[in-house]
Amino acid sequence: MAEKPILCPDKRPVLTLQETLRKPSRFRLYLWRGNPPGIIPEALALITALVMFIPILYVMVRGFQGGWERWLTLLDTRIPQLLWNTLSLTAVVSFGALVIGVGAAWLVTRTDLPGRRTWAWLLALPLVIPPYVGAISYIIVFGPQGLARNILGYSPVDIYSFGGVALVMTLFTYPYVYLITSAALKRFNLNYEEAGRIAGLSYPQVFWKIILPLLRPAMGAGFLLVSLYTLADFGLVSMLRYTTFTTAIYFQTGSFDRQAAAVLSVVLILITLVILWLEYRTRRKQKFFQTAGAYREAEPFSLGRWRPAGLGALGIIASAALVLPLSVLTYWSYYGIARGALDSRFLEYAYHSLLTAGIAAAACAVLALPLVYLKSRHPSFLSSFYEKLALAGYALPGVIIALGMVFIFNNYIPALYGTAAVLVFAYIIRFLPQAMQAESSSLNQVSPHLDEAGRSLGYPPWQVITRLILPLIRPGILAGAALVFVNAVKELPATLILRPPGMDTLAVRIWIEASEGFYDLAAPASLLIILISALPLKWLINRF
Amino acid sequence: MISSKWLKRGLLTVFVVIAAVLPFAAGGCAPDDGGEGELVVYNARSETFVKPLLEQFESETGIRVRVLSGREELVNQIEEEKNNVRADIFISNDAGAMEYLRRQGLLEPNDSPTLDKIDQRFRAGDGSWVGLSARSRVLIYNKDLISEEEMPKTLKELADPAWDGQFMITRGGNSSMVTHVAALQEAWGDEETRAFLSSLSENAGAITGGHTDIRRAVGAGEYPIGLVNNYYYHLQLEEDRHNNVGAIYPDQGEGEIGAFVNVAGVALISEGPNEENARAFIDWILEDEQQYQFSYHSKETPLNPDIPAPEGAKPIDQYRAMDINLADLGQHWPGARELIQESGLDLGI
Repeated sequence: MAEKPILCPDKRPVLTLQETLRKPSRFRLYLWRGNPPGIIPEALALITALVMFIPILYVMVRGFQGGWERWLTLLDTRIPQLLWNTLSLTAVVSFGALVIGVGAAWLVTRTDLPGRRTWAWLLALPLVIPPYVGAISYIIVFGPQGLARNILGYSPVDIYSFGGVALVMTLFTYPYVYLITSAALKRFNLNYEEAGRIAGLSYPQVFWKIILPLLRPAMGAGFLLVSLYTLADFGLVSMLRYTTFTTAIYFQTGSFDRQAAAVLSVVLILITLVILWLEYRTRRKQKFFQTAGAYREAEPFSLGRWRPAGLGALGIIASAALVLPLSVLTYWSYYGIARGALDSRFLEYAYHSLLTAGIAAAACAVLALPLVYLKSRHPSFLSSFYEKLALAGYALPGVIIALGMVFIFNNYIPALYGTAAVLVFAYIIRFLPQAMQAESSSLNQVSPHLDEAGRSLGYPPWQVITRLILPLIRPGILAGAALVFVNAVKELPATLILRPPGMDTLAVRIWIEASEGFYDLAAPASLLIILISALPLKWLINRF
Repeated sequence: MISSKWLKRGLLTVFVVIAAVLPFAAGGCAPDDGGEGELVVYNARSETFVKPLLEQFESETGIRVRVLSGREELVNQIEEEKNNVRADIFISNDAGAMEYLRRQGLLEPNDSPTLDKIDQRFRAGDGSWVGLSARSRVLIYNKDLISEEEMPKTLKELADPAWDGQFMITRGGNSSMVTHVAALQEAWGDEETRAFLSSLSENAGAITGGHTDIRRAVGAGEYPIGLVNNYYYHLQLEEDRHNNVGAIYPDQGEGEIGAFVNVAGVALISEGPNEENARAFIDWILEDEQQYQFSYHSKETPLNPDIPAPEGAKPIDQYRAMDINLADLGQHWPGARELIQESGLDLGI
């Protein structure tokens, strides 16, 4: 292979004999629509994609291995109740989040509410509070031995009921709907609403007949995103003693092997796939454009005497989702730190969290690159396929991924079983899609012509990536790594299942201590996690 | 001189290699072949009760103790790992769980003479597991709401409509509940037990995750009665407020079955990575001082009659216990959960 490209007198590169011989086969050209990627990026992408997908495949295989009897028993006994519990919670929370999210988004983007700019990011802030931490703070206030009982003599909210669970879950997932719909509302073209006003509609009618229908794709996407999060959640529902598929799989109280867990996992995977498919369909519809004619920003709707009501509503949301948890946790942290909660053990737990999350983040940043690059620069059935395989971990609950890891490593790679490596792998599988999304949005802003220029100058494909593209998409890589890091630090169920003995992380400690009522020990760690989660917040908000 | 091109390539290669290898290196943080001075403990008991003991063991012997805390699911984990054993010791709140593991062939026989301190009824025949403290099922009650005379004296009375909504029980999957049911199966047979559980779960005023909620709620007067393990009664007595509670041991009358006594203890897992350290740990924990400590924090009664019981705890010879061999419960334990499910009492989380 030539060190430098040999150039003709007019500077066109000349293919050497070897390069000619290495021309891709016709089949390969066909697969890649005439634009095959380099061998190295493709190999990396393929290996990564397969490794991401295998655990889930194994869980499903194991689920079907048990035989029909197992399935029938479970279908008779546990599955109906679990289905009801899980689906009813998901539906109620998604609708609740929809109402709150759309309402808040409209108030903040389309009215003349005072302090709009502050409300805009304030209302998104509950995203930094992991749902199980939110649950802990609500138990502290409304639980049977909680603050409310001490002050009022009774608790206005039965936190361990369906209503309690739904309320807390809604409060910490509405920001997803809020962010998606407010981004959509901001892009609205005034023309349609003006047409409505000119035709004689009052503002409420404009809202219901024009704005909401146009918002439907965004609302649908937000609704389904909240559904996915609710389905996958483990920490909050287990803290509030509500049985769903995730807790049933984790606690496996019904059997002595993990066979039942595998069966339940299959059901949960199927439900998740249905929701993912629905989300895919709504996302396609989101591509209808509103740029007919000139684009003008809408005039804010004047609230008039409804202003206090609007402020009040937003105030209630912010108090419930932000002020309450943060103040409760701060109080208990102060109390806990005074009693020595920040000892060497705490530092050890923090170290375990940061180590595993850090390694996972670095690995994801690297591994996402070939997949993302292939999807963007060499679009074809194959690159889409690799991408879909790798996205397997995106919506699947941590319990199922952990179960897959247990099955595979325990049976086939025993040397690594019981080590932190398995945990890090689980993080990578679960959060690689986050890095992929971040890097791909960055990559999509870099024109493919740059790549072609690099190729024409004689660089092999992998060098085009490393020397040209990498420096340009650095923000995306960093954002992806940050997202993976934060998510790994917050992660609970997979960590509970896979952690080696003695290697508890902050999240695990919070859960154990809160389960036994030691809020003074759980609170400082919770605040630390919230602080860490706040780091990539700006990027998260902008993503929507 | 190295050109910057090669320097960059070199750095990049190093970075990629590190990123690829680090996950495996992370495995090195938690070596799975055990080291010289290590002990891996799976702990299904409340951490508060166990951590001080383990730390003491670590400081006295220098053996590094690595703990994995959990609940009943640890039994599943031990079973899942049978081809690739990671744990040395299993600390359990439940003789049923330990006996089940023994029957699955997952425990190692232990003929250490220190085990003789404990009565035969409360340990495995081959010594693979040994009980350390007794935990009886009692009915805790709020003295402001109900008096001792009015209290139901037998378990079966709870199934009576007269007590509808008056008492609290834990979820069916709670290990104490499961083994209790196994004992009832031994005493009453499956049919009667299933019927009893059915009425019990319908009659119950509240079904909680654990016993701590029950003792606190009964103490606070939310419900007059709760079915708990005896030490929860003593723990509630120690609270600053809501401590006007009493407890009765059910079924004490002539011809009745007696109160069910379960034990908490330790089991020696077969083929663990640090077997010597594990045996040393068992010998250590059977020393008088440690036995006392094992029971002390949780207010349970030591099984060894020579060890003083914590103040207020009823010594084991002062009430009628069910006349069964705990080891016999092992056969019922797998079916007990199914029975519970069939009866309609939710296993819960």
